Amino acid sequence: METTLSHTDIITIQLAIAAVAAPFVVFLLNFFLVPKRSKVSGMLSGAAIGASLVLALLIFFRVWNQPALHVQQVWFTIGNTQIRLGIWLNNLSVLMLLLVSAIALPVHIYSIAYMKGDERYTRYFTYLSFFCFAMLALVVMDNLLLLYAFWELVGFASYLLIGFWFTREKAVQANKKAFIMNRIGDIALLTGIMLVYTHYHTFDLVTLFGAHPIKTTREVWVTIAGLCFLMGAIAKSAQFPLHTWLPDAMEGPTSVSALIHAATMVAAGIFLLGRVYPIFDSTVLTTIAVIGCFTAFMAATIALTQTDLKRILAYSTISQLGYMMMAMGIGAYSSALFHLATHAFFKCLLFLAAGVIIHEMQHLKHKHHLQIDTQDINNMGGLRKIMPVTFITCCVAALALIGFPLTAGCLSKDGILIQGFAWAEGKSWAYSIIPIGAVLTSLLTAFYIGRLMFKVFFGESRLEGISTDSEPEAHEENPLLYLPMILLALGSLFPLFSLDPLKFENAWIVKGFAGFAGKAESAGELIPLLISALSVGVVFIAYTVYVKQKLQWLKFKGVLFNISYNQWYIDSFYNGVIVKAMVGLSRAVAWFDTYVIDGVVKLVAGIGLVLSRVSAWIDKYLIDGFLNALTYFVKQTGNFIRGFQTGRVQGYLFTMLIIVLALYILKTFI
Amino acid sequence: MSMLSSFLLISAGLFCIGIFIVLSKRNAIQILIGIELMINAAILNLVAFGKYDNLANSGQVFALFAIVLAAAAVAVALAIILNVYRQYKTIDPAKVERLKD
Amino acid sequence: MSINQILFYVMGFTALASALVVAASKNLVRSVFMFFVTLFALAGLYVFALADFVAVTQIVIYVGGVLVLMLFAFMLSNKETLNNLQSKGSKFITINNMAALLVATLFMIILVNAIIKAQPDHIGWIQRSLRSDTPRKDNMGNIGVNLMTRYLLPFEVISIVVMMALIGSVHLSRKEEHKL
Repeated sequence: METTLSHTDIITIQLAIAAVAAPFVVFLLNFFLVPKRSKVSGMLSGAAIGASLVLALLIFFRVWNQPALHVQQVWFTIGNTQIRLGIWLNNLSVLMLLLVSAIALPVHIYSIAYMKGDERYTRYFTYLSFFCFAMLALVVMDNLLLLYAFWELVGFASYLLIGFWFTREKAVQANKKAFIMNRIGDIALLTGIMLVYTHYHTFDLVTLFGAHPIKTTREVWVTIAGLCFLMGAIAKSAQFPLHTWLPDAMEGPTSVSALIHAATMVAAGIFLLGRVYPIFDSTVLTTIAVIGCFTAFMAATIALTQTDLKRILAYSTISQLGYMMMAMGIGAYSSALFHLATHAFFKCLLFLAAGVIIHEMQHLKHKHHLQIDTQDINNMGGLRKIMPVTFITCCVAALALIGFPLTAGCLSKDGILIQGFAWAEGKSWAYSIIPIGAVLTSLLTAFYIGRLMFKVFFGESRLEGISTDSEPEAHEENPLLYLPMILLALGSLFPLFSLDPLKFENAWIVKGFAGFAGKAESAGELIPLLISALSVGVVFIAYTVYVKQKLQWLKFKGVLFNISYNQWYIDSFYNGVIVKAMVGLSRAVAWFDTYVIDGVVKLVAGIGLVLSRVSAWIDKYLIDGFLNALTYFVKQTGNFIRGFQTGRVQGYLFTMLIIVLALYILKTFI
Repeated sequence: MSMLSSFLLISAGLFCIGIFIVLSKRNAIQILIGIELMINAAILNLVAFGKYDNLANSGQVFALFAIVLAAAAVAVALAIILNVYRQYKTIDPAKVERLKD
Repeated sequence: MSINQILFYVMGFTALASALVVAASKNLVRSVFMFFVTLFALAGLYVFALADFVAVTQIVIYVGGVLVLMLFAFMLSNKETLNNLQSKGSKFITINNMAALLVATLFMIILVNAIIKAQPDHIGWIQRSLRSDTPRKDNMGNIGVNLMTRYLLPFEVISIVVMMALIGSVHLSRKEEHKL
């Protein structure tokens, strides 16, 4: 502890630690103690996140619009450098803390009923608690290193949850894809952190970006560091070009999609941008705005023609995240965070509703022994008659997504649009592409969400032989399923965020980040009204096309349709070019390893074998041969000499005499 | 040729004949005779030289001793031949080869 | 050529011839009897060397003792032994005989060579003895005196040797006590 803190501050810090630690404790309990299919796991997780929510509320009211709280401790020392770790609670931290726990609690309650009967029930809640812990820790850390660590953990939790039903091949491939794409962003993030440390010699966020943030100078490395942070955010928040993992991540359970891939984890990218905002210079900010706008437009066009229910919602998420990124880029810091908060509510609600719809379709499939894809909206229709609560809450969420007045979404989107026009004002005509693109995207948003609503809920059932009039009420009987949805629907309306439904500046979030707010246009009232009117028109067109079946000139053929339906061929491009290149490279390296390196090793082994055979031959024939020859020689000599011992006396005498004679002859004559 | 040389030549001839008998006969008693012949040749040699020693008569005394020894040798040799016959049932020395290697 | 020399050569020739017959004969009896003749001839030769006592001793001991002993030995032996006497080989020159003949011839050559080289006539003490020709009287008495004085030790030793030979041969040729 560096400075002396007041008693209340110490309690606040302790509450923050408790809020982060509660899901962690439940994670450990579920992992080690609770059996596989026990209901206790769900209740424990729900209780933990409920406790976190209460604590977050307490902390929020203590810290919001108060001076930021920051406590630190020495973590380790290398040489003369001390690295510290600690907790930083400013407006951004406590807002995210509250948002994450507020969204996680309904999802937990919904999951208790949604995952009932699953084989790995406890493991699901283990992973979910782990994710909540990592996300809550991410938002309160004051240290770039720990931020990176929890960033990775959040990605890891996402991997585990996407591949939760790992017996399905598609789920396994999807979680691999998500992890790898997140990895690309993480490398960029790490590079950015290292660049910052090299120049400022500290990892501390407060020193770098706190009340007296560092000034960015016109140096290349600042731009590069900013781009690196941007890249990390792009990967995590599924922006172009690293967005293709998010539609595939829909292979996980729908409640997971609701929590992670709609409301919280993908918002971590935007949160990161918010944390390191002072480091971005104008080049990087423009880049952020361009990427955000382009992503929003592209995702909206793709969502127009998709037929899988969850995929439409995934592309919608990408599009809305593009909005938030664009808002960050044009300087509308507070509007971006505002949109983050409101989007969390209605997108989560849309996903939960999608889960209920898919459950109902599966129920119909089993009951009537059909062979249909339960997530295809072309198989749905007329569901409003059997699922009224779902229908109503979905309508609220859809209106919030479009930006209809009286919803919270309207306020946030209006803020972005107005500030967009204000930003482009006074610059060259090229800059105004961005706000115009945002407007076009919002019209497209209206169309695709209208298409979704009309196809799913209105009209008659598209399944043969089934009339929705005669079907009984569906899974909504379970209050655990529809209570969270109702709560979220209430949150999507304006009263939670602002008492004034018309002016976005009066929202308390926007007021809280007034230090970073951009300019407001003078003609601020006009644009949102115009857009709302146009959106209503677009929705009516969608109604005509999909319900009344008229105006068939919007055909399902043509080049534009194909581009949109195949997701702008980006995924195919990645698979065909990049993945194939990597696989080819790895095959080449494997070939090299097998034939060249192993070949060298085998060659050496072969040489060793040959040498050993040669030496064995030498040993057997030369050395042993020499010895054998010696023994043979000795044996033959012995045999020869033995021949002299005939046992006959006369022979002995003869030999003796011969020798004497020989000696005498030698002596005398030679 | 003096008488001494004649004596010596006769002695040499008898000695060689004795060697021939010892080396080539198949009967142990004939071999014994050959040995005796050799000894007699040696005695003749001694006596021949002893002719010129009037004082000490060494040659003749030595010859007497040699005769005695020859007799002893014959006695013992016959006893041995008897034992060999008992053991091997033959007195052919070529047949007695159990000491062969 | 005086009668001495003629007689001497006759004796010598008899000795050699009878020795040859001993060598050449396959019949054991015949060879033993020819050995008789050889010994007698040798005794005659001893007389020519002025060794009368040795000649008589030779006849008494050698012929009368040793040869008679040998005759007794094989005459009183088994029938198989007697039968074995006449069966061996018909040729004189066999392999064994060749080797023995060779050795004997070589020895002869060497001995003759040694005798010629030694020049026995020119040995110092022999010539001195020839010049100082003290007449020989009482040869036997002289031998007796020398035996008792100068050669006493060999004399005693020889007697012991004879006794050993006696005991030994008696022991060696005894009959086994327990026959299986």
